[in-house]
Amino acid sequence: MAKTKATSDVSLCKGCGLCVGACPVQAIEPLKEINKKGYEIIGINEESCIGCGRCYTICPDYVFTISTVD
Amino acid sequence: MAVKLTKPEMINQQVGWCGGCGHGIIQRLIAECCEELGIVEKTVQVVDIACAYWSIDTLNCDGIAGPHGRCAAVATGIKKVRPDANVYVHAGDGCSYVIGLSETCFAAQRNVPITMIVVNNGIFGMTGGQMCLATTLVGDKTASSKKGRDDRVAGQPFDMLNIISQYPIAYAARGALYDPQHINETKKMIKKGFENQRDEKGFSIIEVLSPCPTNWKMTPADSMRKLKEENEKIFPVKVYTETKDDNISTKIRSKDP
Repeated sequence: MAKTKATSDVSLCKGCGLCVGACPVQAIEPLKEINKKGYEIIGINEESCIGCGRCYTICPDYVFTISTVD
Repeated sequence: MAVKLTKPEMINQQVGWCGGCGHGIIQRLIAECCEELGIVEKTVQVVDIACAYWSIDTLNCDGIAGPHGRCAAVATGIKKVRPDANVYVHAGDGCSYVIGLSETCFAAQRNVPITMIVVNNGIFGMTGGQMCLATTLVGDKTASSKKGRDDRVAGQPFDMLNIISQYPIAYAARGALYDPQHINETKKMIKKGFENQRDEKGFSIIEVLSPCPTNWKMTPADSMRKLKEENEKIFPVKVYTETKDDNISTKIRSKDP
């Protein structure tokens, strides 16, 4: 069965941190880096991500894309 | 590598809503529902002059900004001249329940087959966070109730869906955005609203409990917690009324001489 993983486009991120609380395996963590707009962004730990799509569901700014990895 | 979930194609740019605002989630749910039902081409959005206004720049479909509070009346007019179009209203609680209360009630009373999506964030968001008589909870501090809403002065918040569901409408339901499970349920409600419109069943209203972290002066995570623990007690998440009959509105219309 193909695995699914989340990828992020952090240039859209507004640093609300809702995805951090929604992730069931704590694979998303807030970083101290900032993007071009000046918001603190998030990072995904690809090892522990299970691709459930909860981050995509709760993100108001379409940061996440869930895709299958062969 | 195949993409399973990504930004809907109907959305063509990002909007300047505050971080953690529920409007962004609602707009994405609307776009997903339109794409899944294949009705993007014939969708007409009616937005309010408030935070909901931004989606007119973003969604790749026809749209009009109604006068503040008169969105239901504008949508009624569009539906009368273009009965095939998928007309929906994306408005806030101030527009639908305070300033435009009569428009909302009379659209429901006529049972016009439109879909109304009301964002209940318990505050007047765009004007700077004043108290909304219909939805601000007792004790909440806002720009116009500095010591918290006093029910002896401003009365109690009231559940408008209880009132609107007394009219002969097709569908009234309330969803919430505080966790992914409730967001998925809200999406089903919005989709049901669009399907009722497609099948000419009648007026559908979907109210969505949404956070406003900027004006509640909370972090986005805390505002989601407040939604769950405080707002949901007063505004229960459930389906209020759902018609089983088909084509109610066409039956009403066929009685006309």
